[in-house]
Amino acid sequence: MNSTETPVDAAIAELRLGAPSRWLWGTTIVGILAFIGTQIYGFTTPSSEEMGNLVKIMFVHVPTAEISFLGVLLMFIASVLYLVRRQERHDLLGAAGAEVGAVLTALTLVQGSIWGRPTWGVWWTWDARLTSEAVMLVILVGYLALRAFTEDSGRRARWSAAVAILGALNAVIVYWSVQWWRTLHQPHSSPMTVARPYRYALRLNDVSMLLIFIALVAWRYRAAKLERAAELLREEAALKQGGSYAL
Amino acid sequence: MPSEWNYIMAAYGITWVVLIGYGIHVVRRLRAARRDNEEMRRTLEVES
Repeated sequence: MNSTETPVDAAIAELRLGAPSRWLWGTTIVGILAFIGTQIYGFTTPSSEEMGNLVKIMFVHVPTAEISFLGVLLMFIASVLYLVRRQERHDLLGAAGAEVGAVLTALTLVQGSIWGRPTWGVWWTWDARLTSEAVMLVILVGYLALRAFTEDSGRRARWSAAVAILGALNAVIVYWSVQWWRTLHQPHSSPMTVARPYRYALRLNDVSMLLIFIALVAWRYRAAKLERAAELLREEAALKQGGSYAL
Repeated sequence: MPSEWNYIMAAYGITWVVLIGYGIHVVRRLRAARRDNEEMRRTLEVES
């Protein structure tokens, strides 16, 4: 911090707010185009002997479920980094990962339910995989609610980091639930466990969903940093007017 | 019983609706945050 820099200037500088980079724009555009292309590819794959045309749902459901785990993983890593380094941008990155992760987890549950009705005969069952995934969504929503209702930024970051680290452990249960318990849900689907005609479609849909995830997290992270900078500036303005920090 | 195509269309449709909807939400939030930032900076400049 130089002599003319205020604590607020230093805090904003630490957020590293620059213009959106070329890679961010590039990832967004390539992600959208790839997503459109791979969805068409998935939709036009041949029907399977066992599942008929319903197999096409796999190309939206499996990538969404897999990439939602990345949101939880990002939330976990960023929270650990925050507790170790106490840099606010890690807290904001964790929140961005959690929000996108929550959207994808909710979407996974809805897609799974749509797939479950014609294949299992029920929209929902208290199966270990479905239940642990629903618990994951509750944890992510709880994490976001905690952030929304805690005004003090330091406390918000510390508390939510603790919730994130504990909550992320549930991802392990979600992942292994189909091995640990007898479930209606089939074992893990991956490009290596599906028949050859579906392998590339699944792999490409995984990649395009990953690009969409990266773009959404990066833009959401940028919005969070701008929101935090505005919050800091508001506090500075209040101080200059002789008000208090508690806004 | 709806045909299997209804379920397929529902799964693809909900995926697109949710992702586009969330994308719009993020863009709106980004614009609001940018506007808020500029406004606060102007306020501080006027005060100083």
